[in-house]
Amino acid sequence: MKFDPSIVFANWDILAYGLLVTLKYTIYTCAIGLAIGLLVALLQLTPWPLMRWSGRVWVEFFRNIPLLVLLMWTYYALPIFLQIQIGKETAGVLGLGFYASGFYAEILRAGVQSIDHGQTDAAIALGMGYFQRMKRIILPQALRRMVPPLMGQTIMQLKNTTLLSVLTIPDLLYQAGYIASFTYRPMEVYTVIGAVFILMLFPLSALSRRFERKEAA
Amino acid sequence: MIATSTEVVLSVRGIEKSYGKNHVLRGVDLDVHRGEVVCLIGASGSGKTSLLRCMNLLMEPDQGEIVIEGAPLFRSAGDERLKLSGRQVSAVRIKTGMVFQSFNLFPHRTALENIIEAPLVVKKVPRAEAEARALELLTRMGLPDAGNKYPSQLSGGQQQRVAIARALAMQPTIMLFDEPTSALDPELVGEVLAAIRQLAADGMTMVIVTHEIGFAYELADRVVFMDQGVVAASGAPRDLLLSAASPRLAAFVGRFTEQARLLGPLAVQPAAPSFTSPN
Repeated sequence: MKFDPSIVFANWDILAYGLLVTLKYTIYTCAIGLAIGLLVALLQLTPWPLMRWSGRVWVEFFRNIPLLVLLMWTYYALPIFLQIQIGKETAGVLGLGFYASGFYAEILRAGVQSIDHGQTDAAIALGMGYFQRMKRIILPQALRRMVPPLMGQTIMQLKNTTLLSVLTIPDLLYQAGYIASFTYRPMEVYTVIGAVFILMLFPLSALSRRFERKEAA
Repeated sequence: MIATSTEVVLSVRGIEKSYGKNHVLRGVDLDVHRGEVVCLIGASGSGKTSLLRCMNLLMEPDQGEIVIEGAPLFRSAGDERLKLSGRQVSAVRIKTGMVFQSFNLFPHRTALENIIEAPLVVKKVPRAEAEARALELLTRMGLPDAGNKYPSQLSGGQQQRVAIARALAMQPTIMLFDEPTSALDPELVGEVLAAIRQLAADGMTMVIVTHEIGFAYELADRVVFMDQGVVAASGAPRDLLLSAASPRLAAFVGRFTEQARLLGPLAVQPAAPSFTSPN
């Protein structure tokens, strides 16, 4: 059997649509994940035990449930629990977004807590209030440290969108399966898909590395 | 030496602080007068750093009272507790300037930016004015060219002097030093002590936690010996350090005088070293 990727390229429009869907869900779910993650991280950084505890519970729940289980549960079980109708798109965005929020929250919390306490002491001694020292002293230092793990998580997030295909959302992987189903060429199709992911994510990894080097300098 | 006035700038009364079962401060009373240099000495764990951190409320005591220039910063007795907003606390706190053992400069800011930060955002001083004052302070600290350098580009001694300038930029009434030379390489200690000596000569009120007994002896108007969370002895440096009022103080000071005695012969040796070749 000959390896002939031209069959895949002949159906480039189907793949292009899948690529758009993959990128769309990556952007949506990263945005949701970051927004909720920031809130949850802030909860965990407050001095109040109840808020810290609820932030902790959120993180542990979404970090420890397998993503596939979470997606299936959100799509099939959640509507029954709540007696509501949700489409596969909503279920996909919520499931992936909440999942990401658990990881983003941990990155943000750990980043802030990694800053030496002496920085806070100095800022307090100089009369700076909580928001002043967060904004001007702690976060600028923490953000630099957070960039590599945030990049890493975003790369994971893009790859995780492939699981949306189980909800029949036409992402890159789902479209690949579709092409394979009528061309009978899974070898070519999945090889090309793998290459597309690597080519898409390599620049992101490279960018992250460059940032790290700049930080080290 | 500038004469110390009788006006009390900072007063702490009955300060108590515990961490769990560890009772680090057990009722400390201390008055600091305008222009006075007070050195806090004592063994590790005696509570001297805790006391210093209570003075600007970086650490909140369990009990007691702290008053700076007549303004209450903290008061708690039994169930009664003075309630101050964050803004009110900050207004009293900035009468103090603090210098830390590990400098705690902001690494993402240049030396100049470190110094103007608080005047800009806390006191809302115009930038040009803040910068002019910062340059003046850097010059006073012997670092006229360090303004554009980041902390990582400066030596420990230089960083600590920038940190002193940063604290002075808020024009505090009283300066608090927490072991300002303990994290420094021995050869860099002198420059920081010289900067502090300069401040004392200018009449700044200071509380200095230090292990440099010789420095305390030379500079302090009053030395306070802390032991097991209380002021165990206090007085003029000569009286206190030489009197050995208590056995524990005698033991504490004894280690330093013993060291000085051992090094004594070095002081009278001729300065020129002689080298002899093996043959």
